[in-house]
Amino acid sequence: MKKFLALLKVSIQSMLLSSTNSRGRSRKKAATGLGAVVVIAGLGLYLSGFYSYMLMQALAPSHMEILVFIFMGMAALVGGLLFTTFAVKGVVFGGKDNDLLLSMPVSSTLLMASRVTAIYLENLLFSAFVLLPAGVVCTMLTQSGVGHSLLFWVRLVIAALTLPLLDTALSVLLGALVAFLSARVSKGALGQNIVTGLFLVVVFYFSFNLNRMISGLAVNAAGIKDSLNWAAPLLWMGEGILGDWGLLLAFAACCVIPFALVVFGLGRVYWQAVTAFAARSAQSNYKLSAQSASSQKKALLRKEAQRFFGTPMYFWNAGLGLIMLLAAGAASLVMREKLLAFVGMEGFPLLPMAAAVICFCLCTCPIAAPSVSLEGKYLWILREAPMPGSTLLWVKVGFQLLLTLPCTVIAGACISIALGFHLWQGAALLISALLFAVGHAMFGMLMGLAFPKLDAVNETVVIKQSLATTLAMFVPMAALAAAGGLYWLGSQMTGWAALALPILLFALLTAVCAAILSKRGPVMLQAL
Amino acid sequence: MLYIEHYSKTYPGGKKAVDNLTLHVQPGEIYGFIGHNGAGKTTTLRAVAGVMDFTEGTITIDGHDIKKDPVGAKRVTAFLPDNPDLYEFMKGIDYLNFIADLYDIPADQRTADIGKYADAFELTGNLGSPIGSYSHGMRQKLALISAFIRRPRLLILDEPFVGLDPAAAHLMKGYLAELCQGGSAVFFSTHVLEVAEKLCHKIAIIKHGRLVRSGPTAELVGDSSLEDVFLELEGEK
Repeated sequence: MKKFLALLKVSIQSMLLSSTNSRGRSRKKAATGLGAVVVIAGLGLYLSGFYSYMLMQALAPSHMEILVFIFMGMAALVGGLLFTTFAVKGVVFGGKDNDLLLSMPVSSTLLMASRVTAIYLENLLFSAFVLLPAGVVCTMLTQSGVGHSLLFWVRLVIAALTLPLLDTALSVLLGALVAFLSARVSKGALGQNIVTGLFLVVVFYFSFNLNRMISGLAVNAAGIKDSLNWAAPLLWMGEGILGDWGLLLAFAACCVIPFALVVFGLGRVYWQAVTAFAARSAQSNYKLSAQSASSQKKALLRKEAQRFFGTPMYFWNAGLGLIMLLAAGAASLVMREKLLAFVGMEGFPLLPMAAAVICFCLCTCPIAAPSVSLEGKYLWILREAPMPGSTLLWVKVGFQLLLTLPCTVIAGACISIALGFHLWQGAALLISALLFAVGHAMFGMLMGLAFPKLDAVNETVVIKQSLATTLAMFVPMAALAAAGGLYWLGSQMTGWAALALPILLFALLTAVCAAILSKRGPVMLQAL
Repeated sequence: MLYIEHYSKTYPGGKKAVDNLTLHVQPGEIYGFIGHNGAGKTTTLRAVAGVMDFTEGTITIDGHDIKKDPVGAKRVTAFLPDNPDLYEFMKGIDYLNFIADLYDIPADQRTADIGKYADAFELTGNLGSPIGSYSHGMRQKLALISAFIRRPRLLILDEPFVGLDPAAAHLMKGYLAELCQGGSAVFFSTHVLEVAEKLCHKIAIIKHGRLVRSGPTAELVGDSSLEDVFLELEGEK
């Protein structure tokens, strides 16, 4: 047990330090990191509380509180899967400390268990954020009194503790498949991208169906409950939370047994699996032909592209927003009629909403932010290269823009056509979105420099859990909210002020980021 | 070629890693830099390569001050750290082309040089594979090739013999000599004193960040061996 706890501590420390940068020398940075974590936790609790409240309001009158727990359980399961499946390859199978830890006198099952437990704790966070607010809302709004006993909370906590076990088992299996593919398929990154893409399609299909079910809830709650037999364990969880101890036990068994099977089953072959996933033998049939030359900047851009497209973890986490942008553009054209019917209400702020959707998608593309940390141990190559530090930084910013700007233009043009915007409206949409895209890229670069994580044990830590990435996503969202406030303020004055104020804010923030990056960026890079 | 004048490096917290080091490497010289673990060798080499900032002194390479004109200095330099980490997501040939692009090496020159060095180090067949699949020795060879194809005026190597098989080490010594015959200079650190004694025209010994002895190898060693001199200076004999 002592060894297990020591190993678990290492895994958790690695995750926490990357999220908070608390190992850094500056207390200010550590405080900023912890602040960011608290903000995200607060945001998560607020969102889950808000949705639980909406659902509970619709369902409590018909005593169908159970559906809230089923849907929130599904949300926790899907959210956790989405978040941790990508992490499994790095955390469980691909740690750079594998050689060190496998050489220690601990069983491979114990090592595997410690790493899987770290994944479990991440999923537990999801489960707690989603299920506990639902419990609070149930206690407040129930009309059948189900949330008013202490035992209700005991059962809810049991459910919140056991649900992430199922999540973890599924994500470890999927992660193992991804790790296997990357080791066995010659175009490993392509294989991983295809599997991840298919996985996301399934997740999104499931989520959309869930949304459809939720929208018809108030009318046919009982029918929907009956149609959820395919998700029997979650049905048992709901019944269990509301008082059926037998079904709660059955649900717990459904979570504990797969988890135990995964830990002990994979644990027995963990050593072999890690060896097999890591073993790639170099081919020896390359024939040298005439090489071609290109410029420094092109070479650096090509390197960024090779890393981005060749690292599925990076591509899917920082690039999903690009796909969302293109999908939003295409969907607005394909489903034009439905969209117009939905947003055709009098006074609906079409233009700012369109801009907000595009900018939100851009926020989820922190490509430049983790790129400095991803250099990590390779940073010496760029430092000894004959080029100023500013070249490297602007190439990294440029690479993000190379991907985001065309997608922004396509999405903006499609949405403008679909919503029948005037030319000036389309222009205003594009100007604001493009300014936001440029500012976002530069801000991400600054965050990457301010909160680097050069010694991360795997890419997951940098891309998914680093403070730089978190801030690069959420601070621009706050700027977006501020722009929304300015739009409202402007609309109280004149029409043009409503448009001009948010654009001015984006222009100002972009100019500030550009100035700081130009002046301080190379110094910050040199200081790493 | 390389002028290190009153170079000092103090780490945050006040620890002085290198103290007032002055050292000159002339064109055509192979200059060995030896010292115990933590003596300040790597700190010095990294500062010379422009990879690490330093607090006091000046470092000039081929007339370029590494602080005032870092790009000019780096253009004529190649640096190889003790454990070169290379982009694992790249193929070997991609990495060599990446480096060649950063140093503006023309296409025909890079093709010829990659062919020459990769064939010699028996790595040509593996250049199409991702670096992630390379062994430690193969990575070391690839890093060496990437240094040689730059035709540097100053080659800086930190423990270059670690990880190389005897044949590759022998080959490398030959290429170092060839480079110096062309007017370039080599400045390298090593713990392999026999190699340093045989290979280097000059040697500097550093202890606790201070230069304790330097000069032509023959003068420094005299009738004894470099090992004896080194151990005597270290107070082991």
